[in-house]
Amino acid sequence: MAVDRVERLTNLLALLLETPRPLTLAEIADELEGQYVGKESTRRAAFERDKAALREIGVPIESTVLTGDRAGATAYWIDRKRYELADLHLEPDEMRALQVAVAAVRPAQGREALWKLGLDTIEGDAAGDVAVTATVPELPALPTLREAAAQRLAVSFAYRGKPRRLDPYGLLLRNGFWYAVGRDHEHDALRTYRVDRIEGDVRIDADAPFERPADVDLRAAFPADPKELGAGGDEAVARVRVFAARARGVERELGTDRVVQRHADGSIDVAVPCANVPAFRSWVLGLLDQAEVLGPPDVRAAVVDWLEAIVAR
Amino acid sequence: MSKGTDGRSGRRTAEERLSRLLVMLPWLMERGEVPLAEVARRFALTEAEVARDLELAAMCGLPPFVDEMIDVYIDDDVVHVGVPRLFTRPLRLTAPEGFALVAAGRAAMQLPGADPEGPLGRGLAKLAEALGDDAVVVDLPMPPAVAEMIETLTAAVQSCERLRVRYWTPSRDEVTERTITPRRVFHDRGEWYVAADDGRSGERRTFRVDRFESIERTGEHDEPEQPGTVAEEHDWFADAGLPRVTLRLTPAARWVVERYPVEKVVERRGGRIDATFPVASERWLDRLLVRLGTEAEVLAPAEWRTRAVDVARRVLARYLEAASGTGE
Repeated sequence: MAVDRVERLTNLLALLLETPRPLTLAEIADELEGQYVGKESTRRAAFERDKAALREIGVPIESTVLTGDRAGATAYWIDRKRYELADLHLEPDEMRALQVAVAAVRPAQGREALWKLGLDTIEGDAAGDVAVTATVPELPALPTLREAAAQRLAVSFAYRGKPRRLDPYGLLLRNGFWYAVGRDHEHDALRTYRVDRIEGDVRIDADAPFERPADVDLRAAFPADPKELGAGGDEAVARVRVFAARARGVERELGTDRVVQRHADGSIDVAVPCANVPAFRSWVLGLLDQAEVLGPPDVRAAVVDWLEAIVAR
Repeated sequence: MSKGTDGRSGRRTAEERLSRLLVMLPWLMERGEVPLAEVARRFALTEAEVARDLELAAMCGLPPFVDEMIDVYIDDDVVHVGVPRLFTRPLRLTAPEGFALVAAGRAAMQLPGADPEGPLGRGLAKLAEALGDDAVVVDLPMPPAVAEMIETLTAAVQSCERLRVRYWTPSRDEVTERTITPRRVFHDRGEWYVAADDGRSGERRTFRVDRFESIERTGEHDEPEQPGTVAEEHDWFADAGLPRVTLRLTPAARWVVERYPVEKVVERRGGRIDATFPVASERWLDRLLVRLGTEAEVLAPAEWRTRAVDVARRVLARYLEAASGTGE
């Protein structure tokens, strides 16, 4: 009967952890008698599958091409220091805080991560301690981008059909979207990419290290208010009348200093940044018939054209 | 957010079994002996699965050196581990696990009451030493007016206090007065919400914090809620009683499925998609349709097909009234 695959994987892992010197496939097959059998190509295929499985669960497998009398053969081993989780020396209150954080955000891999730290998720009564929670979207590209940012290595990926290269300075979650912020190689300038719009895999380029500028501030990489995107100065401001039903809510949203005029019927005129016309239009249309763009004329016309296009369809 | 594999459903792959074994073994080695049921509960497996994998681990090792074997056996429903060997420490964190911890920690640091000098801040600093300084920033903006209300709401969650509130309901455009018992404050896609027992309807409702006109404490307290009911608020949008709308979206409007809870997405030619959404309020749908303009088309239900045109006409009427004129 064939050896259970988990058993063969565990044996391979144990052998590569314990070996005092790198081992070739022939040596591995010798040591794990009866587990890699058949002709060379069959053994190689089974071994490659197992190696990929170990790497997938996070096992770092080192390899080197031998010289001397076995020149050309590849030999493998696992560096225990790289394999093992470093002791983080967490105090009990710090462990508890991490458990609460994972309970509040519930990331998909959170439980596995806590297990490795010797912790478990908190549930039942204890979960009542978690009064405030947050939803953090997860995307397949995020862990790779985080690693690249931590290791200061460039990444490449496709975005809107074009290949891009980026020195990732960091990741920013804002308004439910993750952004990768960094120096774009082609433009040699700070650029921001929506991570959910990255097409396919992100590849880390181990040969392209970078220095992160000390003064980089991710929060300032682009304005918190999308209506200000693309604003070169402060002149791009629209005047919007907000009718009584929504006046109070809009004043609270924008701040009282944005109110330029109050009318007897309860409506108000507010000054709103409009440099990014689509973002501005989206905001003003969100108020439905409780708002009207008064000016400037071209911005008002853009909103009217948009509405007329809907009616004309 | 998904809760990860619990290992109870379906067949487990060799990779899943091995990675679970590699966290289970060091934990057992540190303890020496643990009841089988406790191991199963902690690692979200059945007792049979734990027994099978541990028995398999006991056969592993490096023949012919029998003393290199993993020394584990199950006797009388208790797992015993002898001399710790081989897998004495857990495997390092994978990239997704590292990200999960960092993102959860950074997000939690943004929640009300977090203290950078406190245990979470210190724990994250130690994590950063191990995982590298990655500059992951989670921005959960909280305007001052909202922050004050969140403080009151959070305190009420902890003490199960009833609050008297005035709440603006956009779908009816009216302000109602009600008494609520807050159960959970949460942030999702840029907005703060509170899930609360609503005295008006007697049901659990979700309120957007910035739509409270006022919040007052009552000094009256409710019973703590039953364990197990706490985790439901993330499904607040998936109410089966809500009507559904199916939209055909152009590629430029695909963002809608990332932004709002979507029930079903069907790919069409030319990068178009047909997406079905629960409609929490018709006003939400009106706002969405007028913002999407010609990038979206209502496919179903039939009575909503002209909805975008009707809404656009209503908004345009404002611009055709002479009263406000054109600009300054």
